[in-house]
Amino acid sequence: MSEERNWATHREAKARKLAAISSLLDGKIAQTKDAKTLLEGLIAPGDKVVLEGDNQKQASFLSKTLAAVDPEKINNLHMIMSSISRPEHLDIFEDGIASKMDFSFAGPQSTRVSQMIADGTLKVGDIHTYLELYARLYVDLIPNVVLVAADKVDHEGNLYTGNNTEETPVIVEAAAFHDGIVIVQANEIVDKVPRVDIPSDWVDVVIPADEPYQLEPLFTRDPQNINELQILMGMMAIRGIYEKHNVQSVNHGVGFNTAAIELLLPTYGEQLGLKGKIVPNWEVNPTPTLIPAIESGWVKSIHSFGGEVGMEKYIAARPDVFFVGPDGSMRSNRAFGQMAGQYALDMFVGSTLQIDQYGNSSTVTNGRLSGFGGAPNMGSNPTGRRHSTPAWQSLRPDNDPLGKGQKLVVQMVETFGSNKRPVFVDSLDAVKVREEAKLANVPIMIYSEDTTHIVTEEGIAYLYKTDSMAERQAAIEAIAGVTPVGLRSNPDTVKDLRARGIVAFPEDIGVNRNQATRSLLAAQNMEDLVKWSKGLYNPPAKFRSWS
Amino acid sequence: MNSLWIFPGQGGQSASMLQGVDADLRTHVEDLLGLKLQDTDEAYQDSVQLQVGIELLQVAQIDAMFKAGLRPHLVAGHSLGVFAAAYALGSLQKDDLFRTVKRRAELMQGAYPSGYGMGVIVGLSRSEVEKLVARVHSTAHPVYASNQNAEDQTALSGELDAIAQVVALAKQNGAARALRLKVPVPSHSPLMTEVSTQLAAAMSAVELTKPNGIYLANYSGRAVRQVAPILEDLTANLKYPVYFEAMMGVARDYQPDSIVNFAPGQPFRKVLAQKFGDLHQINLNQMSVSDAAFLLNKWERGSY
Repeated sequence: MSEERNWATHREAKARKLAAISSLLDGKIAQTKDAKTLLEGLIAPGDKVVLEGDNQKQASFLSKTLAAVDPEKINNLHMIMSSISRPEHLDIFEDGIASKMDFSFAGPQSTRVSQMIADGTLKVGDIHTYLELYARLYVDLIPNVVLVAADKVDHEGNLYTGNNTEETPVIVEAAAFHDGIVIVQANEIVDKVPRVDIPSDWVDVVIPADEPYQLEPLFTRDPQNINELQILMGMMAIRGIYEKHNVQSVNHGVGFNTAAIELLLPTYGEQLGLKGKIVPNWEVNPTPTLIPAIESGWVKSIHSFGGEVGMEKYIAARPDVFFVGPDGSMRSNRAFGQMAGQYALDMFVGSTLQIDQYGNSSTVTNGRLSGFGGAPNMGSNPTGRRHSTPAWQSLRPDNDPLGKGQKLVVQMVETFGSNKRPVFVDSLDAVKVREEAKLANVPIMIYSEDTTHIVTEEGIAYLYKTDSMAERQAAIEAIAGVTPVGLRSNPDTVKDLRARGIVAFPEDIGVNRNQATRSLLAAQNMEDLVKWSKGLYNPPAKFRSWS
Repeated sequence: MNSLWIFPGQGGQSASMLQGVDADLRTHVEDLLGLKLQDTDEAYQDSVQLQVGIELLQVAQIDAMFKAGLRPHLVAGHSLGVFAAAYALGSLQKDDLFRTVKRRAELMQGAYPSGYGMGVIVGLSRSEVEKLVARVHSTAHPVYASNQNAEDQTALSGELDAIAQVVALAKQNGAARALRLKVPVPSHSPLMTEVSTQLAAAMSAVELTKPNGIYLANYSGRAVRQVAPILEDLTANLKYPVYFEAMMGVARDYQPDSIVNFAPGQPFRKVLAQKFGDLHQINLNQMSVSDAAFLLNKWERGSY
């Protein structure tokens, strides 16, 4: 008989590591000054390590500590990160502490990521959407160590993550139940947490941080910066898409186009008599530009991926709308948010940097490998969907007995970007970036086949109505303005496309261009938003122009 | 303060630019190098007067900023400006800087007495410029795509006749602007390989220390934190293009909260506007160090 196999090697390895550092712990609580020693004791070369960081919340104390460890002791880590956001996320690769990266989004570090891939300093496993990356934590990227951030932790090690719970639960669960080590940085150690977001028996080590974790007010848009083209596009979208398709549930991407729509609902939407008829249900971060729509009764529910700095008190006072715990603070959850966004919503509305002549879009441009956030999950048609809603059903083709509906995926772009370069291009920069970075796939954010509508200042292209690629291209050309793609447009074809409802110009859907002025916005500036919120919204300093 | 300090190279000089420079520093440098700085337009035709003059101005401004308690997090020099950049991070010492810059100027002055220089093309991408250069370049008539100062702004370096040919081709191919520059040396091209080798020999005794901040390297467009790539940049950047556009792209990833443009001149307005939008900027060719310090401190407090 062969020797009995040991089925608990992970558990024993974890126990040995924790035993070796136990003298540095009081229960589960460590001291700030021992952080580096703890990481050097608990992380082994080659480990798979999740470092928490998304586009909002960053485990910044632990990332700084990891960047300071001795590369002789810890090296060749395989990092798994939703977002490469901070300089030290890449410094660890330059210093040899880590060598491989699986990630989703790299927007804030996209130039360096491109360079380091080209130099071979950074080996990329793959680029994912958020949901894919979370899913792989439970399949083939099961972490050895996870480094996460909490607001408050009690002496037992129970975590309060509050408004910014975001992806902490999905990361911690993957390690806690597979003998990975869960290390938490805490803003504050308290006697009693306001509520338990993550129970202490999922947690191994808590380190009080030297300063609160980094938090970005990423979804705050100052209404002052919304221009009249964006207002015109917002009016077209409300009439030509929200109203036309009877949209009930929606996700808005980050941008001034969608902020304009949010601020037009209580004014323009009201004039059209749409209140109570469209978009009562939202999967979206608590963006301040939604305050007027909430206050005037347009919005019934909002579930959020993450929090938004300054919105805490307002949210606490509106528990009918937001997901709020008995303690009065919001619970966010990025994984559930992404799932809801993919399967439960009628519509996604986003923006992009480039759209090619076929309708594929990407935010990857030359020299900048920005990766993806949630947009590919939101901006795709989940073919596994079975339940029906009027909006979904309205896109069903009528020539197929087994046909089904489709998610509305709307791209809103001005034909020229802020850099004065055309958004509509023959070929995406992403095609070239794929070659340079040796990626398996071209980093497309939203594929043409999933894109149902494109809105520009010229009009709306109803791509889902086209029945050939040639027709799809003609519809895109019709609204692409004076970009090289748009200049190919033929007036006779456009006339035909408008007659068949495949392209709509403002006048075709009763939108009056002269009405598109800033006075139509429910709030003109941040101060107006504060007033709408009855003083409950407290904008971050950089958005304050008054005192 | 998470500030990006930018040091331009030659081009923005003007007579009397050294007037505000600390007198003790100026005397120290003149004694060290055995050189009397004239600070006149005529003197600035001379490479040594010009290069030492510009670096003296930048070092004086850096010292004044230090005295006001200000330090950079990121530094970017352009061509000659790399020496001040390395000094600002404490990597290169003052006397070593001036001795090296004087040597650099002498080597450059003697390298190509006539018939060589630089040009610039605006409105074409680098790959478009490279294609045009390939049509003209030969061993006998060398021309190279050189500094990348903005996405659509590529310098040329090489033989003047060859540069003229590329300039003509660029105009035919839709360049918004294409012209020869008043630079008498084919800088930032392989034609400077010999000068770089000699400069490296001259610097062999110089000890650099680890920078206390992020250094943006001309020759690679990379952000570095080690001595070796900084030394490479100081000695060899003349034989490579200055990838300034890439340097600013990387700088943006470090999310600086302000930019300080050192004198002389203000040559990077376009690329800085593209990369950083309306980020706070200080221009030391227009404002005293004490005004700059006042503004930077005010911005740091968050009172806009």
